[in-house]
Amino acid sequence: MTKWRKLAVFILLALISACHRAEEVPPNTFVIGVETGPAMLDPRLATDAASSKAFDLLFNGLVKRKEDFSILPDLAESWEIKDKLKYVFHLRKNVKFHDGSSFTSADVKAVYDFVLNPANKSPHRGTFKVIESIETPDDHTVIFNLKEKNAPFLGSLTFAIVKKGTETATEHPIGTGPFKLVKYKRDEQLVFVKHKDYFEGVPNLDGVIFKIVPDETVRTLELERGAVHTIMNPITPDLLPRFRKNENLKVVTQLGTNYSYLGFNMEDALTGDKNVREAIALAIDRKSIIEHILKGLAQPATGPISPASRFYEGDVKTYKRNLEKAKKILDEAGYKDPDGDGPQKRFTLRYSTSQNELRKRIAEVFQWQLSEAGIGIDIRSYEWGTFYADIKKGNFQMYSLTWVGIADPDIFKYIFHSSSMPPGGANRGRYRNLEIDKLTEMGAVTFGGERRDVYSKAQKILANDLPYVSLWYSVNVAVMNKRITGFTLAPDENLKSLKNVTIK
Amino acid sequence: MKAFILNRLLSVIPVALGVVTLVFLIIHLTPGDPVEIMLGETAQAADKEELRRELGLDRPILEQYFSFLGKLAHGDLGNSLYTKRSVTESIKERYSATAQLALSSMFLAIIIAVPLGVIAAARKDTAIDNGAMAVSLIGVSIPSFCIGPLLILVFGIELQWFPVSGRGGLDSLVLPSVTLGTAMAAILSRLARSSVIEALNEDFITTARAKGVKERVILFRHALSNALIPVVTVAGLQLGALLAGAIITETIFAWPGIGRLTIQAINARDYPLTQGCVLTIALSYVLVNLVVDVLYTVIDPRVRQK
Repeated sequence: MTKWRKLAVFILLALISACHRAEEVPPNTFVIGVETGPAMLDPRLATDAASSKAFDLLFNGLVKRKEDFSILPDLAESWEIKDKLKYVFHLRKNVKFHDGSSFTSADVKAVYDFVLNPANKSPHRGTFKVIESIETPDDHTVIFNLKEKNAPFLGSLTFAIVKKGTETATEHPIGTGPFKLVKYKRDEQLVFVKHKDYFEGVPNLDGVIFKIVPDETVRTLELERGAVHTIMNPITPDLLPRFRKNENLKVVTQLGTNYSYLGFNMEDALTGDKNVREAIALAIDRKSIIEHILKGLAQPATGPISPASRFYEGDVKTYKRNLEKAKKILDEAGYKDPDGDGPQKRFTLRYSTSQNELRKRIAEVFQWQLSEAGIGIDIRSYEWGTFYADIKKGNFQMYSLTWVGIADPDIFKYIFHSSSMPPGGANRGRYRNLEIDKLTEMGAVTFGGERRDVYSKAQKILANDLPYVSLWYSVNVAVMNKRITGFTLAPDENLKSLKNVTIK
Repeated sequence: MKAFILNRLLSVIPVALGVVTLVFLIIHLTPGDPVEIMLGETAQAADKEELRRELGLDRPILEQYFSFLGKLAHGDLGNSLYTKRSVTESIKERYSATAQLALSSMFLAIIIAVPLGVIAAARKDTAIDNGAMAVSLIGVSIPSFCIGPLLILVFGIELQWFPVSGRGGLDSLVLPSVTLGTAMAAILSRLARSSVIEALNEDFITTARAKGVKERVILFRHALSNALIPVVTVAGLQLGALLAGAIITETIFAWPGIGRLTIQAINARDYPLTQGCVLTIALSYVLVNLVVDVLYTVIDPRVRQK
C-alpha cells in the first residue's frame, strides 16, 4: 500500500503547488461581472463589444458623444472646419498617458496612420478612408484633410487614441483614460487602477475589476453575494423581479440604442411583396411580447434610429396590431386562406434565427401571432456562424436581428443603399429604392439642421416601404449594489461614467 | 518496457494525423468566414480578399491542408486569427487550469469510490451496500449543470465556505472538483464493487482464507489489487475526457480551461486555434491511455512478465 500512499501524496502536493492564492479584491475597487473578456486590447484592431467596454476606461478620443449623440470635445479642446474638407483640432495641453509621458499631436497622427496603412489590416480602415492626409504643425494641433465632404467624419473621431509606438495587437495598451490596465488574465479577469494624472481629475475609485463569469446564474449569485458590485446587459428579463425584491440591490434602466427588427428578402416572391410585409407588421403584437417576454425591457420601435438621438423621426407610419386589416390586405393581394380560420395557411415563410433562447421564444410567439392571420412560419434556428453567413448570402426569407450602437444616421446608407449589398455593405435584404439611394448619399454630405431633414425623409419612406419591420429598442439594464453611487447607464452602454463612481 | 512505451508513443503519430485531418475538413466545410469575423462587416471587399490571400484561405483546400501539416511538423500551430496570439501560448495557459481541475476531480473520485466500492462488496446485500449503491446512483444521475449551481448555492452563497466562481487558490478548486468528481466517483464505485465481488469468488481468495489471512488484508490486498484493472481502465478514459475540458463545469465556475477556449475558437471560426485545441485534446487522450497501460504493469505483475 505504501506505493499508493506515495502516489496520493505526490498528487496532492502537485495540486497544491499548481495553485496560487486567491487574490482578495483590493479596497475601494469596483467589480463588474461580465460575460466575456475582450478579444483584443489594441483599439486600432479590435471590434468586439467586450473590448470597447475596456476601452471606455483606458482611452479618450479626439471628441466624445453626449447622451443624445451630439459631439463634445475630449482630447481636442476645440476645432475649426474649413470648407467642410479641412478639420483643424486644437489639442488639450497637460494630458498624460498612463506611463507619465505627455500626449501630443504625434500620437494622434500615429493612430490614424496605423489604421490607414493597408499592411496593418485594421477593420476600421473603411471608416477613415475619407482622410487624404494628416498634418501636425505643432505638438498641440492636428489637421485632417479630407478627400471629400463627409458629415459623419467628426463623429468617427471618438476613435481611441493609443500611445505612439504601441506594438501591433498589444496586450499592454497605454492610453490617456481614467484607469490604466495592470493585469489581464484571459477568461478570468481584467484589473484596472486609477490614473492619478487623468486630465479630467483623479477618479474616486482606486480601481476597477472586470470579473469574467460566463454563466448568468452564477453572475447573479456573485452579485447577490456581494463579490460583484454590478452586472449589466444582457440580463434575462425573468430575473428582474428577483432583483427588485433584494434590498441590497437596485435596478437601473435607460432606453438604449439597440434596435431589433424583422428583415426580409426582397428578391423572394413572397417577402418581396410589400403586401405580405405590411400584413406581417400588422399581425404581430409587439406590446404583448415586450410585456410578457421582455418584462418591459424594450420599447416599440419606429425605425433604426432611437428616440435618444436627435436624428430620430417619430412622425412615421406605424403598425399597431390589426388582424382584420392584415387579413384584408392578404385577401386583396390574392393570398386567400384556403380554409378560413382552419389549420391550413395562406403560405408558409421560413424564419431564420440564432440559437439564443430568448430569440427562439420570441420566434415561437411570432409564429402563433402570424398564424392568426393565416401566415405559416417555419422556424429554423442555426448556430450563430451559420445563421450569420446565411443572412449575408441572402439565403433567407425572413430573419430577426438587432443593430447595436447606432450613433449616426449614416448607417442608413450602409444598410439600405442599393450599392451596399453584401459583401460591400449590410443591405442583406437586397432592397432597391432610388430615392433612398439619393437621400443617403445626400445625408453624408449635408451638414447642420438640413441633415436632420434628409434623414427624416428617409425614415418616413422606410417606414412605409418596410424593408425592415421595426420591433423594439432595447432598454439597457444594470443591477447594482446599493453601496454604489454615481454610475449612470448610457444609451449605448458605454462605461465612461465609471470615473464618477463611489463605493459607500 | 522502454520498447513498449516507445512503441506506444510512435502510435501517437497516426492518431494525431487522423484527428488533424478530420478537424481540418470539418471546420473548413462549416459555413462561416473567419475573414469576415476578423475584419468586421464594414471592411472593404478588396481588404477581405487581400487578407484571405495572406492567410492562404484563397488557395485550394488540399494545398492549405499540406501547408498546415508542414508547419505542424515544425511544431508551429500558428497564431489565433481573432486575438492574434500564438496558439501554443493560449493553449499552454488554459491547459494548466484544465489539468489541475481534471487531476483534482479524479483524485477526489478515486479516494471516494474505491473504499466505497470495496466496503459495499464486502458487505454485499446488506443495508450498507444498498445505501452506498443508492447514493452512487444519485451521483450518476444528477447532471453537472444541476449539481454545480446547487453546490454554489449551499457552499458559496449560504455557508460562504468557498468562492462561487473563478480560479484562485485551492479553495476555488473545491466546488468544481466536487461537481466533476461526483459523477465519476459514482461510476467508479459501482465498478469497483462489482470487480471486487468477482475477485472475492476466485479460488485464490478461498486459499488465502484457508491459510487464515485476515479478512481486511484479503479484501484490500488480494481482492482489490486484482479488481483494480477495470477501475483503472475506466478512470483513465474518464481522465482523458476531463482533459478535453469540461465545458459545462468550466462555464458554470468561470474556470479558464481548454473546453471554453475550444468552443470560443469554433464559434469564431478560428481555424488555427480550433486545430490546436483539438490536437491537444486528442494527444491527452492518447497519453492518458499510455499511462493507464503502464499502470497495468504496476498493478498486475503478470502483465509485466509478458
